[in-house]
Amino acid sequence: MFDLYLPMFLMFAIAAGVAAGMFSLGQFVGKNPQSAEKLTPFECGNDTEGAGNVRLSVKFYLTAILFVVFDIEVVFIYPWAALFKGLGWVGFASMLMFVVALLVALVYCWKKGALEWEK
Amino acid sequence: MDLVIALSPLLAVGFGGLMLMLAEAFGKPSEEGISKTTGDVVDAGAGRGAELGLGASVVLIAGAVMAVGVWIVGPETLEGVADVAPYLLIDRFSLFFTFVLCLGGAFTALLGGGYLPEHRIDRSEFFPLVLFSTFGAIALAMSGDLLSLFVGLETMSLGVYCLIGLRRGSARATEAALKYFLLGSFAAALTLFGAALLYGATGHTDLVGIGEAVATIGQPDSTVAAMPVLLALALTLAGLGFKVAAVPFHQWTPDAYEGAPTPATAFMAAVVKTAAFAILLRVLLVGFGEERLMSWGTGWPPVIATLAVLSMTVGNVVAGRQESVKRMLAYSSIAHAGVALVGVAATIRSTEDATASVLFYLLVYTVSTAGAFGALILCGSRGAEAVSYEDLAGIAKRHPAAALAFSLFLLSLAGFPPTAGFFGKLYVFQSAIDSELYVLVIIGLVNSLIGAYYYVRVMVYMYMREPVPGAPVAKPMSSGMVTSAIVLAALLVLGLGILPGVSLDMAIAAAARGG
Amino acid sequence: MGALLGNVLEHYVMLAGVLFTIGAVGFLVRRNVLVQLMSIELMLNAVNLAFVAYNRVHGDDMNGHMFVFFIIAVAAAEVAVGLAIVLSFYRLTGSVHSDDADALKG
Repeated sequence: MFDLYLPMFLMFAIAAGVAAGMFSLGQFVGKNPQSAEKLTPFECGNDTEGAGNVRLSVKFYLTAILFVVFDIEVVFIYPWAALFKGLGWVGFASMLMFVVALLVALVYCWKKGALEWEK
Repeated sequence: MDLVIALSPLLAVGFGGLMLMLAEAFGKPSEEGISKTTGDVVDAGAGRGAELGLGASVVLIAGAVMAVGVWIVGPETLEGVADVAPYLLIDRFSLFFTFVLCLGGAFTALLGGGYLPEHRIDRSEFFPLVLFSTFGAIALAMSGDLLSLFVGLETMSLGVYCLIGLRRGSARATEAALKYFLLGSFAAALTLFGAALLYGATGHTDLVGIGEAVATIGQPDSTVAAMPVLLALALTLAGLGFKVAAVPFHQWTPDAYEGAPTPATAFMAAVVKTAAFAILLRVLLVGFGEERLMSWGTGWPPVIATLAVLSMTVGNVVAGRQESVKRMLAYSSIAHAGVALVGVAATIRSTEDATASVLFYLLVYTVSTAGAFGALILCGSRGAEAVSYEDLAGIAKRHPAAALAFSLFLLSLAGFPPTAGFFGKLYVFQSAIDSELYVLVIIGLVNSLIGAYYYVRVMVYMYMREPVPGAPVAKPMSSGMVTSAIVLAALLVLGLGILPGVSLDMAIAAAARGG
Repeated sequence: MGALLGNVLEHYVMLAGVLFTIGAVGFLVRRNVLVQLMSIELMLNAVNLAFVAYNRVHGDDMNGHMFVFFIIAVAAAEVAVGLAIVLSFYRLTGSVHSDDADALKG
């Protein structure tokens, strides 16, 4: 078993070694002059503008989180779709209830204005 | 059709929650709601706490009535019940808990219906959340499988996290929600890892199958290893210990209880704790009910007994040192979890009697603690909420009825006759004596004495102290919903105290089916 | 499924155990709420890995896989609620460190 993975482990080790070696080499061998020019953030040669941490609107958070929650529900729909025939009407009725519950949640988000981008 | 009848309490609460959610989203903000608020953001449904609270409590009381109905019909006569087993077990054990949980939820809804408008918390999603949380709690109490245990536990907990953090502008409420959320999720992850280990060791996720597989440990042809099972037991106990707030898993309790809006605190104390005890009993007696695991030398009883002693002692001693009544009630709820754990530990010999005593105790505790928080709500009003002992000074003169009701619930929590709390404690200690756990009983009795001190202290402040001149005092509010919740709770406390027989018989019947 | 699988199962479970421990330690040691949330996610995913690995051994039913589906869905809901709480905590205190959650004491 171990033989099978030995080359991979070797590759990991070599990769880690090379990366660590390069960094430490630069640290020890290279000169390290500090100047104001050098300490400024490099932004494609342009002068930097504004603060580093741009504040994103909280709208992104709400939309993203709603997307994640609704999106993840497909983990229940996918197995149902794959086994649709075998599950029959009981499965259909169960899934219907599930989708109705999701729908109620969607209507709720809508009515509360959580889906409106411009406001 | 039988299945629909059998599941009717659960379905009623679930659909009620969905309907209430829509009602909340589509409802117009009432005129009163707008004029009362400062004119800033008014969501649809905001400021309609009273109506939605009434709706939620009607749904929950309907759920409780349906549970009684299914009990009378007899869950064993209903066909189709086997279809949902083991994910949802409809037996007398779960019906008893369904009733208690619906009752606790209804108290919360009624208290919320008075509290939220009074304190201008325009967040009517409180009520759908209470319904969904109660739904999860019922599913948790019904579950006979690790999968439904997890889903029920999380449904209940997610709702409670939101209930605590409802007051988004309040740093204390948000902090309480954050602490409870982090520790609660951590505890759930621990329980889950225990579930994975159990599945790996036994090949089952249903508690009966796990119990049978665990019973083969040590036999020559057994494929079940003992080590992962014991580790899983420890992880499960830790996870559920968080939910019942047993020492040493209690650190979140006082903060979460204090920071939350008081109705949400009542919900945590009554519903969450009861549901966690339901599943704790089921897991221990069905999943780990094997003889060796239930014996004093080689199983979980010493662990439970240790948790019980620690919870009672730490809960009572620290509760006596609190200056905030809300915080005192939080620590007292830890101590009550300890007493219930004495009953759980007593299941080692007289399993059914001890289980029945825990069920009865939880019913009594739910009613008493919901009533106590209700009385605390009634004693305060906007800008003059009753928090510390000083706030309550002389309240008996200003609002004799509230003080009287509060005293009744405190006496019940302390375990004085003729209130329900006395019989609750009596039966638990009785079953502990039957199981020859004399040390636990002695520690429990000593703790009851310590507990009496701080419960009586509240009454001393209410009846015998005058407020310090110039100091802020609580002004009682008037709310029909809070009053009706308190009257209902008071009737139950007295009724269960004077005639404990009927409900005790029901608890014994429930224990016989579930244990 | 032979001896090879038995061997591999052990490795998977060990990996799950290690991931779970890393998550648990991370949760207890780190004070940044977001990192703590990530640690919880790591713990849940370790559980998922353990379930899927065990399901190979108890292959007759699909209980392990089913459990994982539910864990994934519930974890998403949990993160949604958790991030909402963290966000409102950040708005009020300007911090995402759990050490700053110290208004309640006693």
